[in-house]
Amino acid sequence: MSETPASTSPAGIAAAAGESMEFHPRPAGGAPKPWAFPTPERGTLSNGLTVLSCHRPGQEVVAVEVDLRAPLDAEPEGLDGVATIMARALSEGTDKHTAEEFAAELERCGATLDANADHAGVRVSLEVPVSRLHKALGLLADALRAPAFPDSEIERLVANRLDEIPHELANPARRAAKELSRELFPAEARMSRPRQGTEETVRRIDAAAVRAFYEAHVRPATATAVVVGDLDGLRDGGVEAALAETLGGWTGAVVDSRAMPPITADDTGRVVIVDRPGAVQTQLLIGRVGADRHDRVWPAQLLGVYCLGGTLTSRLDRVLREEKGYTYGVRAFGHVLRSAEDGSGAALLAISGSVATDVTGPALADLWQVLRTLAAEGLTDEERDVAVQNLVGVAPLRYETAQAVAETLADQVEEHLPDDFQGRLYAQLAETGTVEATAAAVSALPADRLVTVLVGDASQIADPVRELGIGEVKVVTGG
Amino acid sequence: MGHTATPPPATGGLTATEHRLANGLRVVLSEDHLTPVAAVCLWYDVGSRHEAEGRTGLAHLFEHLMFQGSAQVQGNGHFELVQGAGGSLNGTTSFERTNYFETMPAHELELALWLEADRMGSLLAALDEESMENQRDVVKNERRQRYDNVPYGTAFERMTAMVYPEGHPYHHTPIGSMADLDAASLEDAREFFRTYYAPNNAVLSVVGDIDPDTTLAWIEKYFGSIPGHDGKRPPRDGALPDPVGEEQREVVEEDVPSRALMNGYRLPHDGTREADAADLALTALGGGESSRLYTRLVRHDRTAVAAGFGLLRLAGAPSLGWLDIKASSGAETADIQVAVDEELRRFAEEGPSEEEMERAQAQLEREWLDRLGTVGGRADELCRYAVLFGDPQLALTAVRRVLDVTREEVRQVAAERLRADNRAVLVYEPLANDDEETGQ
Repeated sequence: MSETPASTSPAGIAAAAGESMEFHPRPAGGAPKPWAFPTPERGTLSNGLTVLSCHRPGQEVVAVEVDLRAPLDAEPEGLDGVATIMARALSEGTDKHTAEEFAAELERCGATLDANADHAGVRVSLEVPVSRLHKALGLLADALRAPAFPDSEIERLVANRLDEIPHELANPARRAAKELSRELFPAEARMSRPRQGTEETVRRIDAAAVRAFYEAHVRPATATAVVVGDLDGLRDGGVEAALAETLGGWTGAVVDSRAMPPITADDTGRVVIVDRPGAVQTQLLIGRVGADRHDRVWPAQLLGVYCLGGTLTSRLDRVLREEKGYTYGVRAFGHVLRSAEDGSGAALLAISGSVATDVTGPALADLWQVLRTLAAEGLTDEERDVAVQNLVGVAPLRYETAQAVAETLADQVEEHLPDDFQGRLYAQLAETGTVEATAAAVSALPADRLVTVLVGDASQIADPVRELGIGEVKVVTGG
Repeated sequence: MGHTATPPPATGGLTATEHRLANGLRVVLSEDHLTPVAAVCLWYDVGSRHEAEGRTGLAHLFEHLMFQGSAQVQGNGHFELVQGAGGSLNGTTSFERTNYFETMPAHELELALWLEADRMGSLLAALDEESMENQRDVVKNERRQRYDNVPYGTAFERMTAMVYPEGHPYHHTPIGSMADLDAASLEDAREFFRTYYAPNNAVLSVVGDIDPDTTLAWIEKYFGSIPGHDGKRPPRDGALPDPVGEEQREVVEEDVPSRALMNGYRLPHDGTREADAADLALTALGGGESSRLYTRLVRHDRTAVAAGFGLLRLAGAPSLGWLDIKASSGAETADIQVAVDEELRRFAEEGPSEEEMERAQAQLEREWLDRLGTVGGRADELCRYAVLFGDPQLALTAVRRVLDVTREEVRQVAAERLRADNRAVLVYEPLANDDEETGQ
């Protein structure tokens, strides 16, 4: 709190005369302080709702994540997008409030509420200062328990959704993702089609369809609520009582959870160019599907893919960005699409980024060279060590906020993983060797089994890309 | 009479201490032992407003060069060492400042301080033509990726160019122009470093699980011998009359997915009570799904898919209020503008209702809690208030000031500023296509 008078540093005074600084050797780190991924308390409310709660001191903004077992695969034929419209409509009025009142009440709590439909299910996310948690949980419970789904609001959400589609198609990264899904998965699979529906399917959605989807799939007994934050100060019975008084009032019969079809994909090496005349950059998305988090290879795959393209100092950016300047950054990653103990799930394994139009050919040539070199020569022990130190070492930073902890816990539930999965993952990473990580990365992203989507100016990039020999090249028009 | 449902949580017991080295480096420390992490944040008091004509983008390009090594750090070593120690890091450039930051596991704090000191004191020992050429290409690709290759990507540039007149230091944005990025030379970069990168032109904050005495000793050890100097040139004068004067207008015909209407307003300078009032006005008008403009345009008129009103706080020039509306298919921007003007006029007359005020304050309060909820966020805010307003303590009481603003003050700033003669209007019209877009 006080202004300290200028300390007297002989070095500083001498330096002011124009001399250079005094150098010191790089310091070694101190002893690490213990940190562990938090263990949540698990319980079940009388209505069957599973509850995970986790006290994080100092986190005044509480994060609540609710997993609803309403996967996209459950959408009725021809109604792609109904899960999305339902998710959005949860906050458009309840048995107590109109849509406008509901929005006002939420914002009066200083809360945000988002809902998203994906392959694994619908996720509802609430963030609110702990001082108003109880009230916001009441609103969340209303939205889940008794959504009004008024005709006029559903019509508006459908119209808005239709208006959003051209915006998504205009965005190079989203356009690439849409095309990759179409290429990878069989046409009859839900995964081959846009998560939020197409113009044709969204147009068919009405309030009756939304209600039917809600009634078939949104039940407390198949849902899980995760609550994370500084929960110690809650009065009158704490978080348990707050949850019981709010989400505990949600009722609904148990339904059998549906069996999920296994995920299959065609990763024959090939290239699709989505033509965008005049584009100054080419958006790349290069991928296939592979192991998810139930697979024993996951830790090695995570490590190996990180070494390939997890950060600015990984192999891809070392060449494409820091040596050649072709890009602002290219990343390799694994993103779980859906996951279950029976092995029916999968992750999207991919490389994405954008490169200047005129260097698209050379950039892809370098990218493939990086993949081939990795397969031929493997990772170095030093690369592996630095990657482990980073992936494990950043855990306390990565999980500083309630939101980050809640999201990981909710992801684990959605993927049918145990609550201690993330904690054990850190131990497994530390035990994963260079050879295993290399093997996992090479089989995750093999140079000859990748589907490449390029959103860019076909007249400039198609010929150079054909010369690379990375598969047949097809050009499709923008839309 | 701003009030919220609870007593102000505000600082949550946070405190900060201030120190100054002999070379002029200001230091702010804040202890918090809840998690074993520590954030280092360094703000240099230089941004794109300091750039000379013909050299737009230099401050940001230079920021990239700060990651290309220094006397004791090879090549990409800055990134490698921090990440290898389990830390995360980056740097950003805005109109008014350039910041560099690391969040470290607490036991690796000393490394981050050593690294920051090395580049503050010895960047030029490593800076060469090769990294200059490479990062020029990287930054040009950053510009393409974030601005030139996305729909509406250049809206921000176009807006600031209208709100801040030709020759004004905020007329151009930090990313700069392709031509100027091409023109920047290694000597420009060296000169930029010699001019602006000095301990007495920076504030260093360290926040988290730290021992203040040890931390201060490390700072003295690593930064203490870096010479300060007074070579800094002040930015060109950012003073402007409060109102724009007359409505500025630009219509852009481009390959965009829908019509859009954007309005930019000159608003009070950051650091004033009026800026907080303006923030509340913009939040009540367009800060969420219960705001007036969202309710009117998206819910009632159904002329818009999205409508948001945001505040870019600026200390050295009037702040920028930015209304961004993406039109529904078939809607005309002229009709949307009429509706916006009606709502603004009504708000200027009646001000926010008590409930609207409560909602706006609750939202801004949550945003503050979010920002102060991480050691990195707190370190950045402490630097911000130290650099721009000379007092880091103001960061810890900022939310209290927002909660202290009255409805009448909110009404007043809206009446004075949210007027047609104080704005720039940017309209996007999609190019006529032969397909479905033209059918209506």
